Amino acid sequence: MGSQLNEKAPLHALDISASTQDPSIGLVIARAGLGKTAILVQFALDNMLQGNKVLHVAIGAGVEKTRTWYEDLLRTINGEDIEEIPGIMKQRMIMTFQESSFSKALLAERFNDLVDQDIFSPDCLIIDDYDFENCSRSDLEELIAFIKERNLQMAWFSATSHREDDRKSASGVPAPCNEIEDLFNNVLFISPAEKEITLDILKSDSSKVKVGTSLHLDPSTMLIKKG
Amino acid sequence: MNKDLSKVRNIGISAHIDSGKTTLTERILFYTNRIHAIHEVRGKDGVGATMDSMELERERGITIQSAATHCTWKNIDINIIDTPGHVDFTVEVERALRVLDGAVLILDSVAGVQSQSITVNRQMTRYNVPRIAFINKCDRTGANPYKVTGMLRDKLDLNAHLVQMPIGLEANLQGMVDLILMKAVYFDGDNGENIRMEEIPAEMADEAAERREALLEEVSMYSEELMEALLEGSDNIDPALIYSAIRRGTIDLEFTPVMMGSAYKNKGVQLLLEAVELFLPSPTDITNNALDLNDGEKEFAVTNNPEDPLIMLAFKLEDGRYGQLTYVRTYQGELHKGDTVINSRTGKKVRVGRLCRMHSDEMEEIDECGSGDIVALFGVDCASGDTFTTEGINVSMTSMHIPEPVISLAIVPADNKAQVNMSKALNRFTKEDPTFKTFVDHETGETIISGMGELHLEVYIERMKREYQAEVAVGAPQVAYRETISQHADFNYTHKKQTGGSGQFGRVAGFMEPMEEGDYEFVDKIVGGSIPREFISSCDKGFQKSMIKGALCGAPIVGVRCTVNDGSFHAVDSSDVAFQLASAGAFREGYMKAKPTIMEPIMKVAVEVPSEFQGPVMGSINQRRGMIIGTNEDGSYSVIEAEVPLSEMFGYSTNLRSLTQGKAEFTMEFANFKPVPKSVGDELIKKYEEERKNG
Ligand SMILES: Nc1nc2c(ncn2[C@@H]2O[C@H](COP(=O)(O)OP(=O)(O)O)[C@@H](O)[C@H]2O)c(=O)[nH]1
Repeated sequence: MGSQLNEKAPLHALDISASTQDPSIGLVIARAGLGKTAILVQFALDNMLQGNKVLHVAIGAGVEKTRTWYEDLLRTINGEDIEEIPGIMKQRMIMTFQESSFSKALLAERFNDLVDQDIFSPDCLIIDDYDFENCSRSDLEELIAFIKERNLQMAWFSATSHREDDRKSASGVPAPCNEIEDLFNNVLFISPAEKEITLDILKSDSSKVKVGTSLHLDPSTMLIKKG
Repeated sequence: MNKDLSKVRNIGISAHIDSGKTTLTERILFYTNRIHAIHEVRGKDGVGATMDSMELERERGITIQSAATHCTWKNIDINIIDTPGHVDFTVEVERALRVLDGAVLILDSVAGVQSQSITVNRQMTRYNVPRIAFINKCDRTGANPYKVTGMLRDKLDLNAHLVQMPIGLEANLQGMVDLILMKAVYFDGDNGENIRMEEIPAEMADEAAERREALLEEVSMYSEELMEALLEGSDNIDPALIYSAIRRGTIDLEFTPVMMGSAYKNKGVQLLLEAVELFLPSPTDITNNALDLNDGEKEFAVTNNPEDPLIMLAFKLEDGRYGQLTYVRTYQGELHKGDTVINSRTGKKVRVGRLCRMHSDEMEEIDECGSGDIVALFGVDCASGDTFTTEGINVSMTSMHIPEPVISLAIVPADNKAQVNMSKALNRFTKEDPTFKTFVDHETGETIISGMGELHLEVYIERMKREYQAEVAVGAPQVAYRETISQHADFNYTHKKQTGGSGQFGRVAGFMEPMEEGDYEFVDKIVGGSIPREFISSCDKGFQKSMIKGALCGAPIVGVRCTVNDGSFHAVDSSDVAFQLASAGAFREGYMKAKPTIMEPIMKVAVEVPSEFQGPVMGSINQRRGMIIGTNEDGSYSVIEAEVPLSEMFGYSTNLRSLTQGKAEFTMEFANFKPVPKSVGDELIKKYEEERKNG
């Protein structure tokens, strides 16, 4: 396909395009309502536009709602209608789970169903709203081991933090992920500022990116603000 | 007649099959005092519910007719428009959604959001229909209204919030707490007709207070007054303030109040009726648009004003025990017995001799009707979807655009008698339903019927047998393919024939190009008379005739704009026929250069299946060239949403049954036309070539 997402999309500043050897495991963390899903969907769209296949797992959201994210985002930031881009719909599959029913075992089973029956072979995995509060470190380790084993190029998680919990890791990753940040090689933190959204790069696996950089985003588009 | 329109509600009731739509409707009619005994659905007394007036519907358990029933709750006039449950009936569903102002979406308290709930909800969203959810069957084992409310949010993306709380559940369902009035409500008497309000049971008080708090916070978004009142504390808030906030949110499609109960156990139905009054819009609360036929179908809002010229939509024809009835909804103006109205499609004048209001058990003759009213007219000859007006305006409530059929099959009458009856039936059905079409294939002499899906046609075949005693043999269903072009192509064709006396001559040049919207357009760019005026329309005709059967697989061609910009003629030999033939030649020439492709109908399919079968079901969709869009899993059940070519869906129900031990269900709805993959296209082209060789 070879097209790409709007050049103001923050992902271009992150140098996280699918890496070659090890899968890159990323985390976007923020309080509710700041645009975690938008950032994840930007990553997904960019991958789709480059011809990669994305499995979007949404926990606690529905298929329709998730589809709408893709449609709206591509329209606002690229001015394109997703249905009009030939073949792109085949680059994505959405799997949604009720919170209580999601587990690594279930995801693995579904994933294998797709791959083994030759229905869909993802290159990239999005897990939106993974329940970090109620899952243990070993749950997550298992999930990440599975991602590596299945040769995915990248996986991005999102996590919800809470205002009232101010625990933080040394590199600034807030709870509930403060004790598991070592499992991720990219971590982004979103916070609100006056009339804008700040995206802090807390961790990165790219030598081109300076950890500690803050990007300033326009809240209506989640694109980097001009100037 | 100056009626207070704020006291009118035109509503639909929609549900997944077996959620209790018939039972609930029956209860509503009972409480509104029109039915004097409650009949069990499919019950022993064989009387059955009033709404499902057709035998066939009852047998299939689906509701096809969209009759309207009038009832009165306190001082509110409610018209219940029966929305067809099955999505194959596209136009009927759309028309029903067109005439109603609000809807009740029924859900089963155990199964929650099911495949059909998704489809129905999608349609309501498309038509901007405000809705209330009613979680029925709270007396069933496993009932969980909280879970179902969560599903409404997750799966249907509705901002759904309970305005009640159950008191007891399953076999122990006693009543509910009204979170707005903060009272416990019970339903006494044999049929739950006596409502008893009590204090909230002590052990529930805390939870109720919490839930009320959350509800008020949510709905205060829709009312500044309520928001301000809340700052003073939530205890002494005037319920009217809360009602109006919920009403605002609901009508703006930003909020969905969730009610609950058990139609079967007579619990909660009256509160639902209250909610219909309190939360759903009256005809004046929403904007209904008509199309100005004198101004390129430009939309304008109807006024509801009785003084303005009449605008009235015929949305349903019914051949019932009272003879032919036409159900209409009035959008502005008034209609009096004996008035003459104009059918804006045909331009014909019709005199309305009798009008009546249909109650569940009787027909009430009335003298007049006005804006917002839904009534039935007698003996008016028209088709479903026609608009009636008074003289002086030229408007239509519905666009003249009707979706093209996606499936067809041949029917052959068993004998002469069947032949006669079949014609009668077909004549009737095509009037009732514009998506149902019929024609005689001139090559085979067979009668072909076509429509929007397999079930759509099956239902009509059954009706032919039952209502018209027309036994017919049925051929295999055929998918309605289309052909279209993918690029610009020039043409320049000369038709010349010199046989004996006068010859034929015409040259047509120009180009064809793909067009996104619409099927065909003719553009005349001739300057300097290279084609004489009188033959321009011959060119148009020639192109149109060429589009009836495409050269690839014999399917109709769509999406082509033909422009003629040059040509030549002969003073003696040019004629209408010569230019038609020249255009047909030009079309042939251009068509093959314009990269023609075959398109097939794609259906939106939703399969609901116990989770353990999700893998095999996804496999089965994949094998049918389906594209899985997404899955939604909530523990025991999964819903798989996919887009699948219609040609691959034949026999799917049998396949699905055997894959899942009969535990899965699916619904499908026409989505769009898409190009066929090359292998499929080649196959179709080969088949068509062979047919032509042999035929
Ligand atoms: N337990 C229980 N059964 C119900 C309730 N409402 C309807 N039913 C039953 O569910 C079945 C389907 O109901 P029906 O009204 O025909 O559903 P429809 O297909 O949506 O019209 C019938 O056997 C009803 O008796 C309810 O509130 N509780």
